[in-house]
Amino acid sequence: MAEVILQNISKIYSDVDKHMGRHKAVDDISFTVYDKEFMVLVGPSGCGKSTLLRMIAGLEEISEGNLLIDGKRMNEMTPRQRDIAMVFQNYALYPHMTVYDNMAFGLKLQNFSKADIKSRVMETAQLLEIEDELYKKPKTLSGGQRQRVAIGRAIIRRPKVFLFDEPLSNLDAKLRSQMRIELQRLHREINATMIYVTHDQTEAMTLGHRIAVLNKGKLMQLDTPMNLYEHPNNKFVAGFIGSPSMNFLKGRIINETGLYFENESKQCRFSLGKDLEASLGSYVNTEVILGIRPENIFLKDDGSLSDCSLEVLAFENMGNEQLIYLSIGSQTIIVRRPQTHEIEIGDKVALSFSRKNMLFMVDSTGQVIDTTVLSNAGSGKL
Amino acid sequence: MNGSFNIKRIITYAALSLAALTFIYPFIWMIGASLAPLHEVGNMKFWPAHPTINNFQLMIGKIPIGRSLFNSLLVALLTTSLVLLTGSTVGYALAKLQFRGRQLIFYIIVFTMSLPFQITLIPNYITMVNLRLVDTYMALVVPFAVSAFAILMFRQAFQGLPQALIDAARLDGCSELGLIFRILWPNIKPTIITVAILTFIGSWNEVLWPLIVIRNEQLMTMPQLVTLFAVGGRADSQLGVKIAAAVLLALPVMIAFLFFQKHFIQSMASTGLKD
Repeated sequence: MAEVILQNISKIYSDVDKHMGRHKAVDDISFTVYDKEFMVLVGPSGCGKSTLLRMIAGLEEISEGNLLIDGKRMNEMTPRQRDIAMVFQNYALYPHMTVYDNMAFGLKLQNFSKADIKSRVMETAQLLEIEDELYKKPKTLSGGQRQRVAIGRAIIRRPKVFLFDEPLSNLDAKLRSQMRIELQRLHREINATMIYVTHDQTEAMTLGHRIAVLNKGKLMQLDTPMNLYEHPNNKFVAGFIGSPSMNFLKGRIINETGLYFENESKQCRFSLGKDLEASLGSYVNTEVILGIRPENIFLKDDGSLSDCSLEVLAFENMGNEQLIYLSIGSQTIIVRRPQTHEIEIGDKVALSFSRKNMLFMVDSTGQVIDTTVLSNAGSGKL
Repeated sequence: MNGSFNIKRIITYAALSLAALTFIYPFIWMIGASLAPLHEVGNMKFWPAHPTINNFQLMIGKIPIGRSLFNSLLVALLTTSLVLLTGSTVGYALAKLQFRGRQLIFYIIVFTMSLPFQITLIPNYITMVNLRLVDTYMALVVPFAVSAFAILMFRQAFQGLPQALIDAARLDGCSELGLIFRILWPNIKPTIITVAILTFIGSWNEVLWPLIVIRNEQLMTMPQLVTLFAVGGRADSQLGVKIAAAVLLALPVMIAFLFFQKHFIQSMASTGLKD
């Protein structure tokens, strides 16, 4: 049992050695990590995710707010008293100790008997498939092996909570995807609460039960991977989750016998249809941003009525799919097609946008305008 | 090509051998002279015709040289241990802990290195008198127990270690002292050896300070005792006896040098300092 609760947590740096005055690296963050949950904190570098993790670990002081583990306030507790383990980006193995001693060190400090330590080390080594490396020094191991040892050192103590600080970012791409699968397996096997920090949205999407998206020290949204992908709350989350990222078109809603969207450069102008009219009615003549994912834009080859017609800037053939870059005003939008088709740079192509996958955001705030609830209610009446 | 290379080599080796001989000659002569009877000391020969240990016997009869050897070893070992202890704890705080005024404290410590020993000599002596430490071992150890040089060396060494190493040890439940001595120390061995060697030699060679704070012959360090013996007239102007005392003074450091030769040279080279 281990539930981690963050209540209005902030990290404020005054100007100790920092020459930047007072600033909030983490700003009023609250959420709960449930028992046995795999929670991912994701965001661009400098968003405060690592600071937040270090505050949970007890390596950084919490300036404001409360941290509760299993209902107990932990703010003033040392890392040891919090009963947590952490895996670091650069492994942080003790260079002068063998793999065995690296894993045993924490147990020795807790005064475990020699026999107990040995059986636990063997068991952990087996789980991570590093039995053959036990008497080697870390510097003789490969990156993947080192990370296994670091994970071993964390799980051997059977702590309440595991923290991971970008554990895979020092590994090459192939090893990284392999370790992702291993981490999922590990979580199933040891069934513990895990908090995982990464800047890589692929890792976040594949590993997390839930994902907390952070930006500039603030929590932007916390939800399951699919909900974040399909129903982002704001422009930041919409753009951060998904690769290639969502297309954003600046424009306005206009009313001409029904609602239309017209983009800034007036190259795209199309009717929004009945479902969207109900929820967008109050935004007529305001600046909005249309967000749409690359897979929700279709090329129309049959010459029927299209939403707009744009010039091809570049394209990438990936074998299983094709990414097409189109120019609109000063912006570029990306279209993803499941198969590779013949196309030339400079071609004019006709596009249609999937109405039910369009997001509208208020330009000034980036907040997503809630269209789902109203349009569902609307369609229910019909 | 091979020929010219060999000639260059021969010249280099010849020059180095000559230099080595120049340096080693006084030592060998000193040992020879210490074993020479009084009338042979002035011969400047390497080895006396009738070697005798008479000089050593005479000297041991006149001064407590054995006791002073013990005193010197005790003082040097105590000083070195304390310097390693204080240097690494203070160096760790300055390198890895966050607190207000950290940089200022560091600069003040570094600044004290620029004060010549002679300037602090009298104030230090007054402190010793006020603390009633004159004529005790404490007077020889306490003023040298904290070294700005050691703090600087440890701070630099700790700064080079990754923060994650410290974080990992804290999460493993390590105390701050355990962290310094069990996790960080094994990873900065060269620094520890450098500081230890330089502190030990510095303490061993110290003459001026013991002359000021120690008057009891039983508490005198070897350099102090030998200096007093040689210039103080108690050797009765017998050169052989003085030289015998000098041999005993030089011997421990020379033996230590033979054992730790590699580290000695590294220490001197890595710090660019020489006492």
